[in-house]
Amino acid sequence: MKKRAWYGSVWRFFASVKLTIFVLIALALSSIIGTVIEQNQPIESYYIEYGERWGDIIRTLQLDDMYHSVWFVAQLVLLMINIIACTYERFPPKWRSLLRKVDDFDPSIIDRFSNREAIELGATLGRARDRVIEVLRKNRYKIKLDRSQGDEVKLYASRGLIGRFGSDITHVSLFVIIIGAIYGSFWGYRDFRPILVGSMIRVPDADFALRLDKFWIDYYDTGQIRQYNSLLTVIEDGKEVLTKQIWVNEPLYYKGIRFYQSSYGTSWNRIKEAEIALKRLDSNKVDPPFSVKWGEVSKVPGSKYSVRLVGYVSDFAFDERTRTVFSKSGETNNPAVQIEVYNGEDLIARPWLFFNFPGLIHAIPGTQYDLVLMGFRTIPYSGISITKDPGTNVVWVGTGIMGIGFFLAFFVYHRRIWVSIKASGNGTIVRMGGVINKNPLGFEREFKDIVEAVKETDSRA
Amino acid sequence: MTEPKVIMSLMFFTMAFAFYAATALFYIGYWLLRREWIGQTATIMAYIAALATTMVLIARAGESGHAPFSNLYESMILFVWAITIGYLWLEHRYKIKVIGAFVMTISFLAVLSASLLPYRFKSVEPLNPALQSKWKWLVGILEPMGLERYAIGWLDFHVFTTFIGYAAFAIAFGLSIMYLLKERFEARKKGNFLVDSFPETRILDELSYRGIALGFPFLSLGIISGAIWANYAWGTYWSWDPKETWSLITWFVYAAYLHARVTRGWRGKKSAYLSIAGFIAVVFLYWGVSFILPGLHAYA
Ligand code: HEM
Repeated sequence: MKKRAWYGSVWRFFASVKLTIFVLIALALSSIIGTVIEQNQPIESYYIEYGERWGDIIRTLQLDDMYHSVWFVAQLVLLMINIIACTYERFPPKWRSLLRKVDDFDPSIIDRFSNREAIELGATLGRARDRVIEVLRKNRYKIKLDRSQGDEVKLYASRGLIGRFGSDITHVSLFVIIIGAIYGSFWGYRDFRPILVGSMIRVPDADFALRLDKFWIDYYDTGQIRQYNSLLTVIEDGKEVLTKQIWVNEPLYYKGIRFYQSSYGTSWNRIKEAEIALKRLDSNKVDPPFSVKWGEVSKVPGSKYSVRLVGYVSDFAFDERTRTVFSKSGETNNPAVQIEVYNGEDLIARPWLFFNFPGLIHAIPGTQYDLVLMGFRTIPYSGISITKDPGTNVVWVGTGIMGIGFFLAFFVYHRRIWVSIKASGNGTIVRMGGVINKNPLGFEREFKDIVEAVKETDSRA
Repeated sequence: MTEPKVIMSLMFFTMAFAFYAATALFYIGYWLLRREWIGQTATIMAYIAALATTMVLIARAGESGHAPFSNLYESMILFVWAITIGYLWLEHRYKIKVIGAFVMTISFLAVLSASLLPYRFKSVEPLNPALQSKWKWLVGILEPMGLERYAIGWLDFHVFTTFIGYAAFAIAFGLSIMYLLKERFEARKKGNFLVDSFPETRILDELSYRGIALGFPFLSLGIISGAIWANYAWGTYWSWDPKETWSLITWFVYAAYLHARVTRGWRGKKSAYLSIAGFIAVVFLYWGVSFILPGLHAYA
């Protein structure tokens, strides 16, 4: 088949190993950028750190998320095209030539190998042949050709042919890995949920729920943290189907989704109970505190009032616009609880009590009484990472194939030896030549050993 | 809190340090003066240094109760150990001692930098939560014997294979430098006493390729086992953190090297430069990333 000129040169460009080298080096160099510029930050932060001009450049070239940028992915695509073109171009001919059956050869090729030797033996043709075959077999060669023509015997033997396919298998494995990675990035997700002890969450993209029964930390005797643990229960159709203790590096795996221990903390919007005390403004005396549980009503001892605990924030903040209270952070910087104060059945106030600023808001307005937040019991939460990546197993299969490919490519060498044995006078002349695809230094040695072993034929006879 | 005992390992480390210094000196002496006895002494020193390094690793394992590669200092020792063992194998196989002047000097420099690390890197510490992962099947086997604390996991495997790779690259780097030196004088067609004792360029080129052909699959194993471990610890096998990315950069450079050899015109000098570039990437991957770039990796 004849290709048109431009078509052929484009094809050769895409199939060339030079392109491979350039793309690999370009990938290496450009990958450095992403390790110097911190990735996936809010875009403003680049302007703050690098200034207006570089900020623009970073944004235009997508350097803030460069491993997913058009130009970076384009390099990977180019590499893939390169592998496809290269595989198509080179490998079938390579396979054909490797797998072709050798039924004869011209003995003069032996003189072209750099590993060659002519040996004179006293043995007969038949004995010399048997001996050479024995030596080659002992060195784990397979005899591929054994042909007698008059007073000449030709042998061809090889070993490690399969090693030649190592690079092809490696290239195929790259495909499998990349397909797995793409598949996973389209069909998987990564999520994070803080779960309060005793509460339940619905798992995204799945038909079951997850409950955190317990969270605790183990310590070494020295006081250093040994491990973070959570006890999780999977709930499906209202039934508990599985309970498992997870810790860092020991996730729960259920129906293709993994749940990891990834952080912990205390809830910023709920507590178990609060300790509140009645304060008499006239005498400035504080009564002993009483406790009130989340959502429940408690009588305030020594008064006619009762309170209900309805709100909590760990770091008080107020949004002007929506007129709502929220927590600025997960830290316990400015904790406050909200209570409802009742006089009998009547709701008379809904004040916030600040732990750090007692008396800031008069809890029971128009009276000589105030309420003070003395303490509270927080609820721990466990931060659970939830990941689903259905491509992971494909990637692992790919890496397995790659392992096989590497083993064959780097540790199995293809060695070939051609032998011509001719009767000469009373004895024979054995001419041998050999090549290896890799590790020529090692082969020189092996070839010498084989030659020596053949020479020994005489002394043994 | 009791100070963990690191006396034994420090003692062996001091011994190793002395022997590496001597080894490097004797190999360089052999290269410059070409006396047989200097070369023989160098080899003996190298064997003792290798033995001492092995003892440091064993002593560390005993002191800390886990595989001895959980911080920068320990990983440096593993690195030096692997280079030295690799070199001694090379010398045994090919009987070319001048190579020692380059490779064992790298070993010595590595030991030197390990010794300069601040003390906090040298003390033994219990593993932090993210570094604990053991193969359950192995724990299962060891448990009845009461040895389960010696079980290893993906992380140990990851560090071990990565460092075998680094060491092979280090040896290849030394050989590539020798190649370039020799090639330069050969090109000028004149002898030079510094490089006359080097093996032929063809052999230097080949041996350096063999180093990379060994290092590449091991680095790949390291990256893959790291990915497996990350999949457990961080929930994703690849997150483009600086260490991961640099390992990939290194991997790309060496992949370029391997393909350079497929194309005739890129053999020899160009591939020697790629091998050097690759090793610079390794050094950055190993030290640079730990000290300069932020990331999730604790040390190695
Ligand atoms: C990251 C991408 C790649 C990796 C990891 C890779 C891996 C490998 C490996 C391990 C070998 C064996 C090397 C040796 O035996 O010394 C090899 C050989 C080879 N690769 Fe690649 N390769 C990649 C991309 C490519 C591309 C894009 C091409 C297209 C031109 C290509 C063409 C070749 C050729 C022609 C050989 C020699 C094959 C042989 O002689 O049997 N490779 N590759």
